[in-house]
Amino acid sequence: MSDQVGINQLKRRDFLRAGLVFGAGAAGLAAGYAAVPDAFARAVYAAKQEGITNDNVLVMIQLAGGNDGLRTLVPLADPLLHDLRPQLAGSMVARALPLNNQYGLNHNLGGIKSLWDKGKVAIVQGVGYPNPTFSHFESIRIWETGDPTRRQVDGWLGRTLAQAYDSNGHPLTGCACGATDVPGALRDLQATMTVIQDQKKFGFTGGREVEAAVGALYKGTPGIYGALFDTAIATATETVATLRTSSTSYVPMADYSDKVKLVYSSKNQLAAALQLAAELIVTGTGVKLLHVTLGGFDTHYTELNRHDDLMGYLDSAVSAFYQDLAAHGKADKVLIATWSEFGRRPKENASGGTDHGAAAPLLLIGDPAKGGLYGSEPSLTDLDTTGNLKYAVDFRSVYQEILGGHLGADSKAILGESFDHVDFLRTPVAV
Amino acid sequence: MAVAPIPSDLESPPTPDPPKRGVTRRQALAAAVAAGVGVGAVRLLGGALQNLNHTTTTAGAGSGTDWASPLGSESARVMQLLRRTTFGYTPAQLDAALSDGFSRTVDRLIETPPAEPPALVAASTPGGRFAVVQLQQWWIDHMLSTPTPIAERMTLFWHGHFTSDYRKAADNTFMYWQNLTWRRMAMTDLRSMLMKVTTDPAMLRYLDLATSVASSPNENYSRELMELFTMGTGNYTEEDVRQGALALTGWQLPRPDGTAPAPGTGRNLPVYTSQKSGVFNRRRAYSATVTFLGHTGTLDTQGVVDRILAQNATAPFIASKVAQHFVTSRPSSSFVNRLGDTFRRSRYDMKTLMRAVLTSPEFADPSSYRSLVKSPIELMVHASRAIGDSQLSRLIAAAGSGMGQTLFDPPDVGGWPNNESWISSNTVIERVNFVTAALAQAKSLPSSRDAAVHQLDGVVGTQTAALLNQATDEGTRWFVTLASPEFQLK
Repeated sequence: MSDQVGINQLKRRDFLRAGLVFGAGAAGLAAGYAAVPDAFARAVYAAKQEGITNDNVLVMIQLAGGNDGLRTLVPLADPLLHDLRPQLAGSMVARALPLNNQYGLNHNLGGIKSLWDKGKVAIVQGVGYPNPTFSHFESIRIWETGDPTRRQVDGWLGRTLAQAYDSNGHPLTGCACGATDVPGALRDLQATMTVIQDQKKFGFTGGREVEAAVGALYKGTPGIYGALFDTAIATATETVATLRTSSTSYVPMADYSDKVKLVYSSKNQLAAALQLAAELIVTGTGVKLLHVTLGGFDTHYTELNRHDDLMGYLDSAVSAFYQDLAAHGKADKVLIATWSEFGRRPKENASGGTDHGAAAPLLLIGDPAKGGLYGSEPSLTDLDTTGNLKYAVDFRSVYQEILGGHLGADSKAILGESFDHVDFLRTPVAV
Repeated sequence: MAVAPIPSDLESPPTPDPPKRGVTRRQALAAAVAAGVGVGAVRLLGGALQNLNHTTTTAGAGSGTDWASPLGSESARVMQLLRRTTFGYTPAQLDAALSDGFSRTVDRLIETPPAEPPALVAASTPGGRFAVVQLQQWWIDHMLSTPTPIAERMTLFWHGHFTSDYRKAADNTFMYWQNLTWRRMAMTDLRSMLMKVTTDPAMLRYLDLATSVASSPNENYSRELMELFTMGTGNYTEEDVRQGALALTGWQLPRPDGTAPAPGTGRNLPVYTSQKSGVFNRRRAYSATVTFLGHTGTLDTQGVVDRILAQNATAPFIASKVAQHFVTSRPSSSFVNRLGDTFRRSRYDMKTLMRAVLTSPEFADPSSYRSLVKSPIELMVHASRAIGDSQLSRLIAAAGSGMGQTLFDPPDVGGWPNNESWISSNTVIERVNFVTAALAQAKSLPSSRDAAVHQLDGVVGTQTAALLNQATDEGTRWFVTLASPEFQLK
């Protein structure tokens, strides 16, 4: 670790310069963005700020498409569920893994259930926001930016990178694993983050010679995309160098498998993405904010098998990830949180599926979580005018707790306001 | 920081269009020679680099440097037109277009009927159970060889707009048919296009209309038809989604002509003797009154489409998407509204819209120059055509995923993102690696003598210029050209 700090500080100057050029690019792209402050002032700010000093890590798992909350945390004793879902309710209630008399986890969440039994799973029920939209893209954007008014354009984790960390010196501070583009939650034109789809393929064919040529080719590139290109190349080169070191010192201590049979196969290799996340964490690359995605949750049709399979896939990947972190002595540092743009309609449709819904539970997994149920399950008898569950907890309450209590960031500066407290962390750090 | 336009022809400040007579590539190059900057691009760079560094700094509006737009010259506009509507050009094709001039080239692009791709033999596999890579390579092969590449650019555009993916369609024959349909309808009118989209078998599966019935409608198609395909959010209510879903019920997948054993499945799966679209089943349809987009009465699918076309939001929504794809990532609202008016007045005719887009002042404005990022498929097919290699479909099909674009498999129902979303640490590595692999596979390379002029308009940054000058062999010069930031843009 100590020699890597040295490397990072050496590289930092390059990144500050990239940051400057990046500012120029941001100004060029300004049409859709709020006014970008003076690039030089920003670089000075980045150079000055110390950033967060604790070594806690956040891993966000996006369940893309709208995860069915009623099939994730199953109400066991509500007879209305069977009226609303004649095709879907029966087996899911019968097979659920009870947490208490009222609720059980999906029967394919056995690994997460055993973490629950150890007090390492917090479930916040009824998470949503006022006046929900049923558009995937609008709701994803709301969750990504943390702004239901849709004025904010940067992601909540991107803003955290920009405000609380010195990412311009350390491109691996924020990382999307298993993706090709920057997820909206991590996006912020004033921060640097890296994206790694597949570690085995992440590197320039031709090695350092090509790397050097490309580095020379992408320097001071003109035009509105110039800084973006230059920063991406610089980030790529830096990340390649870090991975060269980390991959030699990391041995996975769990069985990660993406060989899952999904009725509608997912596009994301969740287990591989989490294994890469584990490597970045346990080898001390300085990674703080990680984002991975599992797609396929838009279960408008034949939901029964598809959703169960997705739950099983999530469970096996998360279980392996936790086991790996624990074996490497890092489990106490890492909080895993799921998110999804919305839940699904309580009433099923004719295709054996469910349409877009609203409030849903959110899982927080890991040693930092204080096990238990939080919030309150929305009522099946008191649906909103669209036939959807009413939310009980604003999703930004959860963000606030993660930012302040886990990362030690100034949540109000990042989210713009304060929200109700949800006490799901075992030992919140002092801000 | 200097950017370096090379031939003087491309360097001239924006002036009124020259007389309609075009210039040939030869003349453009001759103009460069006459201006004393050299003969071929590379030698020219070698001879004139210092001068260029000192003489042609063009600062952007307060934000670092910008590319010096050459669009004041007709030849540069022709090259941009071909870059944005085709997959590049051979020297002969460029000659022909330069000789025709900008406006006749626009006419030819828009009016030439699309060349059909050769039939895909695998598409007759029962149940469409053939590998998607066959479908991908079939399409890429056609992109590499077609005489009407604009048809492929439009098909790709609509594939990203009226999305479906092969995973959920679960029948690659349906995906093949969709590709054929999108190509044939690409330059027709939105009214008939929306009927074809709604009843397309892959779409019926992808957005669940095939299983939506009156007693319990599925909202998926109704919502995305309005949100993503025609109007955008904020222009309809949740009640419109529900009522639209009712009105759209009744469609089913086409009936197969028979079944046959499907290889590797041990099952008999559907076979079709010809391409088909969805069939309407009155018994599954909702026939009572709905209130949809302000209209109350009975509505069939055509009625739903017509209500959508009667909304003010529809024409600007499509116009904006087209403008963002072909002109500028952030079109002004006045530009979008002007295009939308033209589109609607033409009864939603795509040829009219495309002509308005390509001949707009905005297209030739300096701010439009290099304002768009080539998508991965565009980049790879352009690069292959630049080096004259038509054998790269296997490589292209495999390489798209790491750059974020896999054909027949868009990331979600919103299709592919564009421009800055194509750029990340992962994708820039993959873009460079593709160039390396393509050059390694090429049996021979054409001369790179004119590459900087033909492929990069002769407008290159100092770094690209320096590396081109340092390169001592064809492979390196092609690598620098195709891996350069200039070539990633369109």
